[in-house]
Amino acid sequence: MRRIALALGVLAAIVYPIPLQLQGYTYYQTVGFLVLITAMLGLGWNVIGGWAGQFDFGPQVFFAVGAYVAALLFVRRGVDAWLGMLAAVAVAMALCAVLTYPLTGLRGHYFAIATVAIWMIAQPIGATWEFIGGSQGLFIPVKPHAGVVSTALSLQFTGPMKALGYYYSALVLFAVTLALMAWVERSKLGYYFRAVRDDQEAAEGIGIDSRRYKVVARSVTAAVFAAAGVLYAFWALSVFPEQVLELNWGTLPIMATVVGGIGRLWGPVLGAVILIPISQIMSTTLGTGPLAGRGIDLIVYGIIIILIAAFRPTGLLSLPWGRWLR
Amino acid sequence: MASLLAVESATKRFGGLVANRSVSFGIEAGEIVGLIGPNGAGKTTLFNCITGYMHPDEGRLAFDGTDITHMRPEAICGLGIARTWQIVRAFGRMTALENVVCGALKRTNRVSEARARARELIDFTGLEGRADMPAATLTLADKKRLEIARALATQPRLLLLDEAMSGLTPFEASMAVQLVRRIHVELKVTLCVVEHVMEVVMPLSHRVVVLDYGTKIADGAPENVVRNELVISAYLGERRAAR
Repeated sequence: MRRIALALGVLAAIVYPIPLQLQGYTYYQTVGFLVLITAMLGLGWNVIGGWAGQFDFGPQVFFAVGAYVAALLFVRRGVDAWLGMLAAVAVAMALCAVLTYPLTGLRGHYFAIATVAIWMIAQPIGATWEFIGGSQGLFIPVKPHAGVVSTALSLQFTGPMKALGYYYSALVLFAVTLALMAWVERSKLGYYFRAVRDDQEAAEGIGIDSRRYKVVARSVTAAVFAAAGVLYAFWALSVFPEQVLELNWGTLPIMATVVGGIGRLWGPVLGAVILIPISQIMSTTLGTGPLAGRGIDLIVYGIIIILIAAFRPTGLLSLPWGRWLR
Repeated sequence: MASLLAVESATKRFGGLVANRSVSFGIEAGEIVGLIGPNGAGKTTLFNCITGYMHPDEGRLAFDGTDITHMRPEAICGLGIARTWQIVRAFGRMTALENVVCGALKRTNRVSEARARARELIDFTGLEGRADMPAATLTLADKKRLEIARALATQPRLLLLDEAMSGLTPFEASMAVQLVRRIHVELKVTLCVVEHVMEVVMPLSHRVVVLDYGTKIADGAPENVVRNELVISAYLGERRAAR
């Protein structure tokens, strides 16, 4: 049952954009791209928020760090996107470790407030630091590449193939993230994260350095956010503070994780597959026509999220699917 | 030979309250030591100092010759001291088996090895059949057993049990006493048992240390301690003792 569902999911994810592409559409490929990025970010946030149980409301800082590092390396040094992504992940993890260690003495709401505070500090830095382009940010020039392989390696898709190229790039990154997280969940890290979440004192009593594992958990989250930030920057062809430090890069993946099932591997994936298309459908149906410009689409979208959260606060994956599907 | 655990003039204050006043005692390898005293005598504070959750204001603690006075709990666990909690602290959202796996991972990085060790301890503590239940759904008696299994998984040389029998029915308590005896005989673990129920701790312990208002008032074989006037007055009150 599980295997069949997984195989169908993989097949659907690979085949989904092809008929659309053949008919000349690109919109739905971009929706798919957003679903995959949100799912990937949710998988990352699930480590600190779901398994380690620490409410991090500022992961978007590392999305921005990733985007800036790769963009700077590309614009100033001509370093390719994928190589830049490795550097971005390394910088984000190191920065996260340094910033998070002092926070790990805080618990519950205080930890959450501190993560928000770091995001608030990052905003004026992003807007005024000339080295990274200040409020103007950085523009990523397109360097044309010949051939599918060299285009894919450069992560610079253009023209009618742009949406399709980024969809599959996002699919690859998402799959890598999912595989890594599946490994983390079953490894010593996964056990220790959940032990710290369930009872920090008891965890220390069986030899778990709770502060160290909180730092490790948040650094894994930061790595995923940084990688996604790089992908997004090359898709948008620009990096500027208001765009990559936007609160939604944190709240959307958090909402997807909570709606789908916090602390469950597939929770953020399910949440992203549900929430992002709903938001797109709302904005294309209610966001146009006589009611356009009044934010009706966002209001309805918000109500849907509230209803899911009220109906099943532990997430849709916690419903007794096994019993229903038998 | 030096004691396995040496507590030397440990004093712990909370503001004006002295929870432990210059307490000294030792635990030898292979012993079962009972630590008793009325409510508020400072037993749990002493446990917290030994396991690194608190640090004494004065005095010194040493485990197997190593100074542990200012060590963190996870480091003390690494040296070979494990504990359970008066108010149970199971990892509620993990299964019973996963709780014990977390303990076993102290001595190995391989999850498969830790799971095998955890299975053995689940069986040893009589939790077979409940291995895959979320810990939060277990009964109090099973949660206390689970805490013991999880602590044993870290392969301690000294195990501190904080009221492992309180709140249990007489039958459950007798099962717990049996388990403690088996830990001592079969696993060769030294034990320190905190209880305020005399009937439980007296037949179990080789030696009993009595605290009252933070001060050690007696230390010796159970049959001698029960005849000690200070102990009788601490438990039963002045008038009864004077008679």
